Amino acid sequence: MTEKCGERFTGHGSEWVPATLSPEEARTATQWVEQKIDRRSMLTQKDRVEDVRDIMWQLERDGEIVVHRVRDEHEPVIAKTLYGWEKKIPTKRLWHHKSCGQCGNIPGYPASLLWLMNRLEVEYLDETDQTSCTAWNYHGSGIGNLESLAAVFLRNFHQAYVSAKAHGGDPGHFYPLVHCGTSFGNYKEVRAYLLHSAKLREKVKKILAKLGRLVDGKILIPEEVVHYSEWVHVMRERIRNLQEIDVSHIRATIHPACHVYKMVPQDVIYDDTVLDGNRVAVSTGLLETLGAKVIDYSTWYDCCGFGFRHIISEREFTRSFAIDRKIRVAIEEARADVMIGHDTGCITTLDKNQWIGKAAGKAVDLPVLADCQFAALVCGAHPYKIVQSHWHASSTETLMEKLGIDWQAKKAQFVAYLDEVKEGRQENLYDPRRMITSGPGYIPIASKA
Amino acid sequence: MSQATPTRVQRHAGDPVSEAPPVPRTKLEQIFADIQSDMRYDHELNGCLNCGICTATCPAAHYYDFSPREIVQLLWTENLEGIYDAMQEKIWACAQCYTCAARCPFGNSPGGLVMLMRETAIKHNMESARNVLRPFSRVMLKLISTGNQLAPDMINKDHFADWGPNISKVDAPLKILRKAIPMPTLNTTATAWEVNLKTSVELYTIWEMTGVLDQLETIDENLFDVITDIMDEKREDWQEFLDEQEESDD
Repeated sequence: MTEKCGERFTGHGSEWVPATLSPEEARTATQWVEQKIDRRSMLTQKDRVEDVRDIMWQLERDGEIVVHRVRDEHEPVIAKTLYGWEKKIPTKRLWHHKSCGQCGNIPGYPASLLWLMNRLEVEYLDETDQTSCTAWNYHGSGIGNLESLAAVFLRNFHQAYVSAKAHGGDPGHFYPLVHCGTSFGNYKEVRAYLLHSAKLREKVKKILAKLGRLVDGKILIPEEVVHYSEWVHVMRERIRNLQEIDVSHIRATIHPACHVYKMVPQDVIYDDTVLDGNRVAVSTGLLETLGAKVIDYSTWYDCCGFGFRHIISEREFTRSFAIDRKIRVAIEEARADVMIGHDTGCITTLDKNQWIGKAAGKAVDLPVLADCQFAALVCGAHPYKIVQSHWHASSTETLMEKLGIDWQAKKAQFVAYLDEVKEGRQENLYDPRRMITSGPGYIPIASKA
Repeated sequence: MSQATPTRVQRHAGDPVSEAPPVPRTKLEQIFADIQSDMRYDHELNGCLNCGICTATCPAAHYYDFSPREIVQLLWTENLEGIYDAMQEKIWACAQCYTCAARCPFGNSPGGLVMLMRETAIKHNMESARNVLRPFSRVMLKLISTGNQLAPDMINKDHFADWGPNISKVDAPLKILRKAIPMPTLNTTATAWEVNLKTSVELYTIWEMTGVLDQLETIDENLFDVITDIMDEKREDWQEFLDEQEESDD
């Protein structure tokens, strides 16, 4: 190998010679570029990172913006983020900001979350007046820009603020809960730019004025941008109280989502009781609380291979990465029974891209579920009616067998239930009339609150 | 002597040692100025010592001729020809995971810088952008016309043959399976959730006022025409609804 190096263009110039390090020496020499994205690796940035919420409160004092507060009625739980800052996680009166990828592709993901909320008697609204964050398209194509992302963010969050009015509630009654990891990262990034830039605020304000989406003539900024996995995390003890199935024998691997913990990392929950506070706490905290064995694997920090555009039109990258860097590693190193995630694209990518491995002689088989689906399943949710596991390509049946769930009987029940659905007798998690808050089909009904 | 086949760099940016590159200097400067003019630029580029942590962590670097370190260096050193060349192909390899941003000791965001370059490639109607985005047009149609990126009827065996023999493990018509989801907002097939008519109309205003439709027209005129037709129809529907409301109020 060494002799051949001179034949290649290296870009280092003629004075460059190979170091001829042994593999062990090479590992030592390059240890400092280890790829881990753990807490310690990011603490070095602390002095240079500001808490944008300080700017937010100042702008509100200056009369520039209105802040949508997490109120006492939302019964917030305080969580600690990367640098020990506090973040308020509302636990009640939640407005579901859905994920287009979850709803379109793996609908048991949001259905399981709402089912858990019903069991925990959490008031919420799932309505039709919302767009996606549009950031999947933006990151994939470059169509879109900071102004469009900011306008979409503020429009959707304004709707969350006023939504309760349609059924007799007050503004601010519901607090937005963001389902998608990319929406979560994107909205936090956009919020910071809005708080920093008067010019951006001015541009976007004109759009929101035209839409009738200002509050007292000002733009509305949320006090916190909250991801559903954060709600699950702070509710994990209460979820455990609902648990029906023992999972102490289950070996779980966690895939932390890039846009959840690598975008605006200072706003991510790190909990001293979860992995000594050295890694993002969500999902791991839930699985440990439920009693599963959370097993480490060497590529835990890697992305899933989704790539935004790649999963649509360059899938050879997506499936190679998903299989070689994630699924295979979790199976071989951790002997995992399941991989758990907390984001749309990751669950889709890791779940759907296993089947093709057979064609390349790389057969792999690992059930993939979102954290809330796993929680719902072990709390007694129906695997097909609620968890909707039939949309998963990975072998969720294997996991169910390990959990003692007779999936064949449950599947037969679901198939029989489809006849009732055909006749219009489907079961819903909430009153369907509540989902329309304006325009065609809107019928005002009294608020449950 | 036969003419040598030009390299990709020569085709797009000209021969780097030539005194008269086919891409005029003023165009290269304009492209760089457009990248730099975004307010995010100074936030996402703070310096670079070529340490390579970003490339060491980069998933795309495993599989493509792509290095976030190179992108940062090109921008930091204002290498206009190199920037132009990277915009022909390399910037589209990035998987947008932001692992690079989380690890950079300077607080750079190579993934974020790639987005500024992608936006600029579209603005300048670069062939690379048109080619790369052509297979993405279904998604753009759905997103811009409905506000949903993905719809259940887009996930079918023809388009996703590599996802296995069945999109659903329960064999039933898509419409029935969607009705069996216990969230009424999701009983849809053409959108991920039912989208309120007012929501769509508001979204169109955002697209228009932020220049997104101009971007789309630059890159794909046919798609632009289809989308504007859909927008016109929905706006008429909304106006009809408002007129009916007004009449019933009278």
